[in-house]
Amino acid sequence: MDQDFLEIQQRVRRYWFKDGLGEIVVGGLFLLLALYFAGHRWLPSNTNAPVVLDGSLAFILIVGIFYTRRLINIFKAHITYPRTGYVEYYPEANDTIPARLFIFFVIVGFIVLLVVLGKWVGSFVWLPGFIGFLISVILVVIKRRAIDLRRFDALAFAALVLGLISSFSGLPAYYSLSLFYLMFGIVLIGLGSVTLTKYLRDHPLPVEGNYE
Amino acid sequence: MNDDLRSLTDLDRLIHEPARLLIATILSGVVSADFIFLQRETGLTRGNLSAHLSKLEEAGYVKIEKTFKGKLPLTVCKLTLPGQKALTKYRQQLQDFMNKTSQTR
Repeated sequence: MDQDFLEIQQRVRRYWFKDGLGEIVVGGLFLLLALYFAGHRWLPSNTNAPVVLDGSLAFILIVGIFYTRRLINIFKAHITYPRTGYVEYYPEANDTIPARLFIFFVIVGFIVLLVVLGKWVGSFVWLPGFIGFLISVILVVIKRRAIDLRRFDALAFAALVLGLISSFSGLPAYYSLSLFYLMFGIVLIGLGSVTLTKYLRDHPLPVEGNYE
Repeated sequence: MNDDLRSLTDLDRLIHEPARLLIATILSGVVSADFIFLQRETGLTRGNLSAHLSKLEEAGYVKIEKTFKGKLPLTVCKLTLPGQKALTKYRQQLQDFMNKTSQTR
């Protein structure tokens, strides 16, 4: 009996992922990261450009941590809610400004740690593979919380494989990271777009006045 | 009638009705949901859903807010604190009953 209650609540939680908009928005952020890492190789190092570029990383992180959900909600308000209804979820336990600031500084600290580790090892070849592994773990955790989303298995597998491909690509560090984020961003946007197309096909916009 | 069975008569009949139980369970996992979402999830007709929501609202278990989204009317429903308590109590009572009856079998 309790299982039935939980299943209903999980089905409601899964609704957030029904339209693929999350993947598309996060995929867009990954493409920005790909541009950031490629930019380090493209832009002349004897100008202020790399400093500006590093500032853009902070911008991407801030958007990613503080505004992703809001951005997805803006799209949902135009695409999803008129079709299959509006749901306001309870904020996550960590959905407070101090908690998000904490996450921001943890990520920045983690990036610094990876850079220091890479310099100590004398190579950054392992970095895309490691990041791919981390992303696949995060996706598996999300899948477990909102069960029966098989596409997250595919995404976790893709993150792992693309990370390894990028690591063994033989490209310089910035390019291999850029390659990983580019490929995974495209996979996210691609899968998100397929999900969104299917969603739009299955749920046409109701005729006016269908709202109660 | 033994006590195990008698405990069933104490169940909150307002929540016990399957459609209203489904509505309350859906709303218990979210801050709020609109009429379209509830209709899709429950599979009820508009009239039926309206009727059940009205009963839940009369009992103070659900709060219904009618707003506008652009020019379209939008009905947003929330499970109130008494509604949450009633659902929790109902689940507990049912669970207790199931536990007792499975022990006596």
